[in-house]
This record gives sequence, structure tokens and C-alpha cells, in this order.
Amino acid sequence: MAINILIVDDSAVMRAMILKSLRMTGLDIGETYQAGNGQEGLEALNDNWVDMVIVDINMPVMNGEEMIGQMRENPATADIPIVVISTEGSEARLERLREKGAAFIHKPFTPETIRDTMRTMLHLEEND
Amino acid sequence: MKHIVLVGNMKVGKEGDTIVTYALGTSLGLIAYDPVAKVGGLLHAMLPLSKSDPKKAEANPCIFVDTGVPRLLEEVYNLGGEKSRLVVKATGCSRPEGDNEMFKIGEKNYAVLKKILWKNNILLETEDVGGAANRTVQFNVSTGELSVTS
Repeated sequence: MAINILIVDDSAVMRAMILKSLRMTGLDIGETYQAGNGQEGLEALNDNWVDMVIVDINMPVMNGEEMIGQMRENPATADIPIVVISTEGSEARLERLREKGAAFIHKPFTPETIRDTMRTMLHLEEND
Repeated sequence: MKHIVLVGNMKVGKEGDTIVTYALGTSLGLIAYDPVAKVGGLLHAMLPLSKSDPKKAEANPCIFVDTGVPRLLEEVYNLGGEKSRLVVKATGCSRPEGDNEMFKIGEKNYAVLKKILWKNNILLETEDVGGAANRTVQFNVSTGELSVTS
């Protein structure tokens, strides 16, 4: 089954790099959606079927933590797997995000890290 | 059959072959392998960029990472390997002099490799790089197994 992915980051270059990395993983990627901040991200979730969300923390208008909080409160989006890709260094904040079930990838990342995280999240076998 | 790869060289093989390289220090050791066609190759590239000596690179592209990696992939494709099934593993790129090393050749080799792979949409399956060790690499083309000892 192809997975639909929403990428939320205020940098278009970063969104493109994440998207390219995803395509390199060999996973069956379906539709991909992009948003520039948390607010746009929530709107994209409203309008589309999304199986996984990749989100940055520090963004204008609405940051990633707030977006994740709102996702978890809405029954329609509460169970969508989330990967946070950020330069965020605050351990307290990372702990709060882990409690909400988000995986974390530190920027700068390698495409291999994205593949490994996706594999773990989607419970795929090593060579699947 | 057992193939031995010398510094700045490359060997490809098929089922039944083993490819070995010794004394992999700052050099890059890269294997590319197709588990379905059971073909693969091992590159032992010494320096990062061919622009440092274009004449040498023309005579032997496997000396340099930026010319050796495409050559390795080409040869594996020529034997029937397919890009979509390709398994790529990196090793070597060490820093025998520790943090005091002036030229950081191992790190540069690794950086150039990652750039080339990114451009070609290829991910590393595994990597065993860096550190101070000299490595010996044995690649079993029948199984795809890679044994790295130091």
C-alpha cells in the first residue's frame, strides 16, 4: 500500500530534500503534500488523506509542537505517525514530543537516517 | 574465484566469486551488489577528487572516488545488475593519525561519496567508516556478505 505523506517545514529547500530522501528509500510513497507552517499543515490534514506527517519545530505562524498538540486532540488525526525533523536541542521539548509518540530526526540529517526511521515506524523488515 | 583489489583499483564478480582488499586506511572501500542477479563489485579508491590529477584519472578512474564510484556502478550494471535492486555498502575512510591529521583524506573521500550517491538517488545500506583502523574487506558475491576486519 502506498503511503501518503505530509511534509511541514518553512524552508522549501528542506522540504525538497526530505521528499527526495523519501523517494530514495524505495518505500511505496503515494501522494505527498507540503505545508510551510503548522497552520497550513493542519489545513492540509483536513483536506487530504495522510498516513504519515513529517514536521519541523521552529516555524512561523504555528510551530510544530502546537501543530502536533492539535493533531493529537482531534480524533481524525490523533493516530497518524509523526516524525519530527528539526535542529531542536532542548531535551525537555524532545521529551514532550516523544510522549506524544513522535519520532525524532536531528538536522542535519542523512537520507539513510530517514530511511531507517521510516522502516522502524512502518515496522518493515530490513529488506522489505 | 578469489579476486584481490589493489589500491586505486576495482574488481567485479559473479556467483562463486570472493573479492578481497587489504590495508584499507583513508581510502574508500565501496561494494555494490545485486542480490537477484548475484553480481557485484568492490572499489578501493584512494583520493577524493579527480581534478587533482585529471591525466591519472583518465588512465585509471578507480584512483579517485568521484570517477571510481560511477565506474563501479557501470561495471555492475554491465554484468546484469539493476539499479533498483542495488545494495551499496561503504567502509574505510579512516583517520590513522587521529584528530591531528592534516589532510583529512578519509573524511573527504566519505564526503565525496555521499554527494555522488545523493545525486544518483542511492542510499548506503550499511557503513563502517572512520576510526583509526586499517581494514581488510572480504566480499562474498554469492551471498552479498561483507566481512570487515581490522
